[in-house]
Amino acid sequence: MSLDITRINPAFADVMPQEYKDLVADGPFGRQLGVRDLGTFQELLEEHPLCAGCNLALAFRALVASLPNPEDSVLVGSTGCNSIAFPQLALHNVHSLFGNQNAVASGLKRALTLRFPGRVKDVVVVAGDGATADIGLDMTLHSWFRGEKITTVMLDNEVYANTGGQESGMTAQGEVRNMAPTGKKFEKIRLPDLAVDAGCAYVAVANTGNLARLGKVFRRAVLVAREVGPTYLQVYTPCPTNLKMNPAGSVGLAKERGKKDYGFREHLTPEAEQCLAAREGTAGSGEEEKNAP
Amino acid sequence: MYVTASVDDERCNGCRLCILACPEPNTIVHFPAPQKVRVVAARCKGCGLCVEHCPRGCVSLERPPAAAGA
Repeated sequence: MSLDITRINPAFADVMPQEYKDLVADGPFGRQLGVRDLGTFQELLEEHPLCAGCNLALAFRALVASLPNPEDSVLVGSTGCNSIAFPQLALHNVHSLFGNQNAVASGLKRALTLRFPGRVKDVVVVAGDGATADIGLDMTLHSWFRGEKITTVMLDNEVYANTGGQESGMTAQGEVRNMAPTGKKFEKIRLPDLAVDAGCAYVAVANTGNLARLGKVFRRAVLVAREVGPTYLQVYTPCPTNLKMNPAGSVGLAKERGKKDYGFREHLTPEAEQCLAAREGTAGSGEEEKNAP
Repeated sequence: MYVTASVDDERCNGCRLCILACPEPNTIVHFPAPQKVRVVAARCKGCGLCVEHCPRGCVSLERPPAAAGA
């Protein structure tokens, strides 16, 4: 246990919740754990209120489990489904106003770099498609233009799920949503391409159909952001509630889309490639593939 | 919950694919010896993703005894 502040004062040991005791005794702090270790340790997320079968929750779970340095990481969230899971997270996290997440993360990263010059502090933005590609697009793009060393993760469920099912900029053309009954009229925003053009050192597109790969690319994104520059990860996370589907089939849908228009792809700059070549031997990457659901 | 996942201990070989498909943290726990998994019913929302992904068909959705008797 390297995170001293989680240590329980002996005088309060008998009144602490069991989950907290489990976290201190068997949490991921100070250990190199990843997706392949899920189920064998106390995870940092606990009893979130997201819907049954929510793929956003599945992706979030994989991301939190794959943080290379959880005790020195700060997650920045924004308004959306994922923001109701943030209070259940045993990590430093900030909830920003809708769309401001990359601006908040930029300031936070700069402040942490000044305050803790000798320590690695990872700042990770986790937001939905509305916060990243619609309402927060200007903050997102400008953080990339400025080369802020933060990781941006978009959990793309292609809908404003938390407010009833309006179409978002990331909804695919022609898709019908609860509050978009005639279907989306224009194309899905090509944010991965924009991220490459805006100067992101590492850009990846993944989906919840392969959780092991998701954990691997997330770890890569954090490692590259730490040393090289901004990174972007876009994850397809279908929402069974708004798609009105059986929750049990949601990962199947993610796999299906992964074979068609939402396939895995990665873009690395030469600097990012060098960084990963140097780091991946100790960063826990690669073995997870065999355990993919 | 009306239904929760339940694991057939006899057939489970502890492959943990159900854990990788579950969106709920700390809900399916792995025990290395013997190689088995166990569902914490109080945390399960009964989505059925683990049932879909179990290659041996040993996970099922059931009504917990308390709910069944209600």
